[in-house]
Amino acid sequence: MRKRVLVVLLSVVMMMAMLLTGCGSSTPAPSGGAAAPAAGDAGITKDNIKVGFVHISDPSDMGYTYNHDVGTKEMQEALGLSDSQIINKFNVPEGAECDTALRELVDAGCNIIFATSFGFEDYVKEVAAEYPDVQFCHATGYQAASSGLPNMHNYFASIYEARYLAGIAAGLKTETNKLGYVAAFPFAEVISGYTAFYLGAKSVNPDVTMQIMYTNSWNDPTVESQVAKALIEKGCDVISQHSDSTAPATTAEENGVWQVGYNNDMISAAPKASLISARINWGIYVTEAVQSILDGKEIPVDWCKGLADDAVFLSPLNTAIAAPGTQEAIDEAAEAIKSGELKVFAGPLTGEGVDFDGKTVTVDIAAGDYYPEQEQASAPSWNYVIPGCTVLE
Amino acid sequence: MLDVATSLTIAAVLAGTPLLLGALGEILTEKSGNLNLGVEGMMFMGAITGLIGSYSYEQAMLAAGMTPTGLMSALIALLVSFIAGAFGALIYAFLTVSLRANQNVTGLVLTIFGTGFGNFFGEYFGLKAGGYVAVSAVTKAAFAPVHIPVLSDLPVVGQLLFSYNWMVYFALALAVIMAWFLMRTRVGLNLRAVGEDPAAADAAGISVTRYRYLATVIGGGICGIGGMYMSMVTTSGVWVHGCVSGYGWLAVALVIFATWSPLRGILMAVIFGGLMIMRMYVSIPGLPVQIYDMIPYAATILVLIITSVRQNKEHAMPAGTGYNYFREER
Repeated sequence: MRKRVLVVLLSVVMMMAMLLTGCGSSTPAPSGGAAAPAAGDAGITKDNIKVGFVHISDPSDMGYTYNHDVGTKEMQEALGLSDSQIINKFNVPEGAECDTALRELVDAGCNIIFATSFGFEDYVKEVAAEYPDVQFCHATGYQAASSGLPNMHNYFASIYEARYLAGIAAGLKTETNKLGYVAAFPFAEVISGYTAFYLGAKSVNPDVTMQIMYTNSWNDPTVESQVAKALIEKGCDVISQHSDSTAPATTAEENGVWQVGYNNDMISAAPKASLISARINWGIYVTEAVQSILDGKEIPVDWCKGLADDAVFLSPLNTAIAAPGTQEAIDEAAEAIKSGELKVFAGPLTGEGVDFDGKTVTVDIAAGDYYPEQEQASAPSWNYVIPGCTVLE
Repeated sequence: MLDVATSLTIAAVLAGTPLLLGALGEILTEKSGNLNLGVEGMMFMGAITGLIGSYSYEQAMLAAGMTPTGLMSALIALLVSFIAGAFGALIYAFLTVSLRANQNVTGLVLTIFGTGFGNFFGEYFGLKAGGYVAVSAVTKAAFAPVHIPVLSDLPVVGQLLFSYNWMVYFALALAVIMAWFLMRTRVGLNLRAVGEDPAAADAAGISVTRYRYLATVIGGGICGIGGMYMSMVTTSGVWVHGCVSGYGWLAVALVIFATWSPLRGILMAVIFGGLMIMRMYVSIPGLPVQIYDMIPYAATILVLIITSVRQNKEHAMPAGTGYNYFREER
């Protein structure tokens, strides 16, 4: 008998709770169950919005996560959110831990959750399907559109534009006309980046060639340093990288050659080697997405902006060591990219690559045409090695 | 061809040196009968403290209006990283020798602790420095390859033998000294006795506790110096998050690969280092990089199989290693 009374009582409480949140009560129900996340309508204000982040590392990596966290801080400042409204999950591996982290953020009452590493995407898709009232934004992924989930979104920036410009600094500086590239994994994100870098260098130095070696890790300073050293031994005198640490920069410095960085200004780590770095400004998207929730607007399924919108940029040029005229050449190309007059992947351009199934694929862009990189989807799709680039394995 | 062989050898020596230092520390520890799996943790502790030692010394000198010298900076890094590694090992020794805690579990805990210690202080000093914790050109030069007049300029030989940073020579000297100490001195003999059969050693009047404490703590200090190599040479005095990750475990594998002998350790470290970086210099067509990267580990397993088949006590782990000694349980 007592049990039955309890059941009735509980259902009444639950109904009340649902009614209250449905009417847009400003105090969200306390956490502890599926009813916890506040509904996605007008109830979310600047005072009660909660924003969650899942990162693969933490800002002390001074690389990718650091750079994304700079974006978080920008958003926080722009919207005037308090520290308690932002919940970061750091050092989350690309495995089942991601699933747990996402659910913890939902339980903590987050209205919007950003997952920032490529390997998080499957977990985001799964959790997003279960919590339709929470918005999920995944960086560098490609499955939001195909998932059909209205609350899952992909975002990235046209980093290849900044890499193209950084390549100009390398192309003007090289004396041996051999560039080296320390690359993490043979994914489109990485291949698109180094191809753009090479095309930038080639635009100012037609004789330049590039050698690419993979580390098979996003962050392994020892291997990055060893790979950089091996490239230098092969005659490369400007080293660039798609990997997190400063090891390629310091290895270049120790061997008297130069380096072009990624994610962070590396000049203070290697003042005699680091020329410039290509960076993403995540703050623009993060601010826009959170603002959309406050305004009750839709977040785009795929978001990708580039140089023209300042979503990618270059760290200051190391004028003490850069070749004369570098800044001018970069500025000129930047203007042309911004106006749409210059396309990075412009024809005539041919390349050969391997798709996810291991099949060889080719691309052939005619003169006057261009490859619409990151235009249809936010994730990079250029997956082809072009003549002049050699992958060493 | 000769060029490739030369660069490969040089790169192998550089890749093998931090592993050799870690392995030497672990050999000394295991010879006393302690299986300290916390090499990774102690290397992390040495890596961050060595870097912070040099960095703080430079900052203090600059603040006082003096110019820091590379020699002092390197000495401070060496000393501080030794102390940090020794401190980590002291925790281990206290838990296992005095409190008789399980050696494997304690070692694993030390790994977790040291990793957190390194990354925590790395981040802390990074925030304080407002960017990278990076040493100045003076210290970088102190850890750069040495140049000995005449000798370094010899063709091929000069490059192969006289073109490394000082830590390579330090590790070599340490290996030779340790081999001499273990095989040619009475104290070394006592230490080996403690590791092989602590009860017999105890009966012979050797203090098992003192030997185990000292060997473990000094061994830990050497591991700490190995970690300092990662932060001062591999990443050239810039703190990189998680810079040791995994290499402490490779050092433990190298101990097996070297069959607990410091002298064989030198050769094996070069081979081990060579296997790690070979793919960057010699390509085998059709062999995926992932398979190539497995070779050092496959080789370790092979060595384990061979040594266990041969049943040679000279080349095996000291018999008492892994077990705590308790006099009352004899």
